[in-house]
Amino acid sequence: MSLDPRATALVLAGTGGLCILPLFLSSSWLLVMFLSFVWLVITANYDVLDGFLGQINLGQGAFFGLGAYVATMLLNLPSVQQLGALTFVVITVSALAAAALFAAVMAFPLFRLKGLYFAIGTLILIFLLQVLALNLTPLTGGSYGLYVPPRFFMNTFIGYYLALALAIGSLALNFYLSRSTLGLAFRCIKEDEDAANSIGVDPMKYKLIALVIASLPTAAAGVLFALNSGYIDPNIALGVERSLLPSLMALLGGTGTVLGPVFGTAIIRIIETVFFHYLRLPVPSLLFFGITLLAVALLIPEGLLKSARFKRLPFLRALAS
Amino acid sequence: MARALELVVGGLALGGIYALLAFSLSLTISTTRILNVSHGVFFVWGGACFVLFTQHLRLHPAVAILILTALFFVFALLFQWGIVRPLLGRNVHLLLVGSIMATFGLALSMESALGYAWVTYVDPYPVFTSSLAMFPVTLGGVALSGSRLVILGFVVLMVMGFHLFLQKTFWGRGARAMAQNFDGCLVIGLNPYRLSLILFTLAIMATAVSGAFYVLAVPLNPYEGLPLTLKAFTVVILAGVGNLPATLVAGAVLGLAEVITSQFLGTVWAPAVSLAILFLVLVFKPTGFFGKGVY
Repeated sequence: MSLDPRATALVLAGTGGLCILPLFLSSSWLLVMFLSFVWLVITANYDVLDGFLGQINLGQGAFFGLGAYVATMLLNLPSVQQLGALTFVVITVSALAAAALFAAVMAFPLFRLKGLYFAIGTLILIFLLQVLALNLTPLTGGSYGLYVPPRFFMNTFIGYYLALALAIGSLALNFYLSRSTLGLAFRCIKEDEDAANSIGVDPMKYKLIALVIASLPTAAAGVLFALNSGYIDPNIALGVERSLLPSLMALLGGTGTVLGPVFGTAIIRIIETVFFHYLRLPVPSLLFFGITLLAVALLIPEGLLKSARFKRLPFLRALAS
Repeated sequence: MARALELVVGGLALGGIYALLAFSLSLTISTTRILNVSHGVFFVWGGACFVLFTQHLRLHPAVAILILTALFFVFALLFQWGIVRPLLGRNVHLLLVGSIMATFGLALSMESALGYAWVTYVDPYPVFTSSLAMFPVTLGGVALSGSRLVILGFVVLMVMGFHLFLQKTFWGRGARAMAQNFDGCLVIGLNPYRLSLILFTLAIMATAVSGAFYVLAVPLNPYEGLPLTLKAFTVVILAGVGNLPATLVAGAVLGLAEVITSQFLGTVWAPAVSLAILFLVLVFKPTGFFGKGVY
């Protein structure tokens, strides 16, 4: 499939714009953008399973929390703290390894479930990690959470570029999947699992691969988030919304499209920022945020990039590949 | 011996509470395929309204339950008209994601509305407990709180009632037909909208009343809805989606496991054990304890 030149130009211009943007932003806006990129990474990875394999994975936030927790727990060990520049390599590699291992182990019970049951089963993943984080108090600090030692804090300026790179990497992964044999195998399973199996595409194997590669960038995003915020607890790192919001963002943008997650994340983050920072409402902003989600779910069933009205705009149609 | 009996009775009573949390969710998921994330929030609203009526407005508990049922009847009609009806016609995948998104939005707004309204107008410390005194019961030398027995009795009645509804009545059989094949349902002339209206009305009223019973034994707070939904999902999956009588068994197994764990390992590990059981069941028997359920 060839690339539409207009879409390529638009994407390159957008990326370039985001690269020079931090020079003009205040620190609070920098943080908003950083967090948006973190959400975008989770959303793009969520879409690997939803868009390409047709599996609704509500446990994506579990990998995020796992990455954040593994990194922070290691940073609190004196032996890791003394490694110098290697410290960051060690914590990142361990966080990724932990997430990949967790994904690989959990794939076996979870992929025996299908559709609705798979969605519920994965939602329980985050519940499982929450229980562990709350109860393994010597390791995780329980409900008091964990602090990152101050000298390992990452400032938001560096965090912005790292998170941007990670987000572009995740989208590149989805782009690769949309145009490769691996992605073709995924789509084949999405269309008809039995047919895929009969032509030699082992559904279990490819689902396992998908879950593992989708867990890695999410765990890395968790590491970035922990280093930047300096503090994590079971609610911040492993709240239910870490798992549910990415699926909403992906759905809003249009699942299975490379740029869908970007649109979905941007829209939800803009709504969130406006409601929580700008409108001084007399009643809680969460109320209106919830109603907005509800309205979006009912009005745009198949996502923005796939909706007929969007496709009628000639310039933007190229993006919906 | 008396100690063992105490554990068993305590575990069964806790199991009753879990079954109470899960049975109406199991009913709606299996038949309409709508994954209602806001289930726990309806439950908390039920408990909160009950506490408001009995403690702050000083109504008789029976009157309170009646008003509660009427309120949630109206709410269920709105829910069906506003959310379920637009979703039902979509294909399986879009129905699933759409229902998660819509009900998650609803859950967020209902949760924050309740928290805000309660703090502003009723009580700055929003914890819903019922002060209704329940007689303690002595059973074979074991003292047991009366409210837990009442819950156990209520949930067994409700589950059996819904089970009979699904098995014996015309609309119940229709609901099972809809669970099996939505298009087939249209072909034979069953109206899926009317079916889901009946199911959701019954299930939401049952959920609200269950919430009222729940606060008799366990205190609730406004932001507990989503965690309660997760807990309910655990029970539903363990029992096999749509298998209502098995919800009782799954609740009892979880209750016993948690009570025994609390006894020997400490209270904090109780939820971890229920999740471990869940994953073991998923590995060896993905359809839950008793297989596919009612359809």
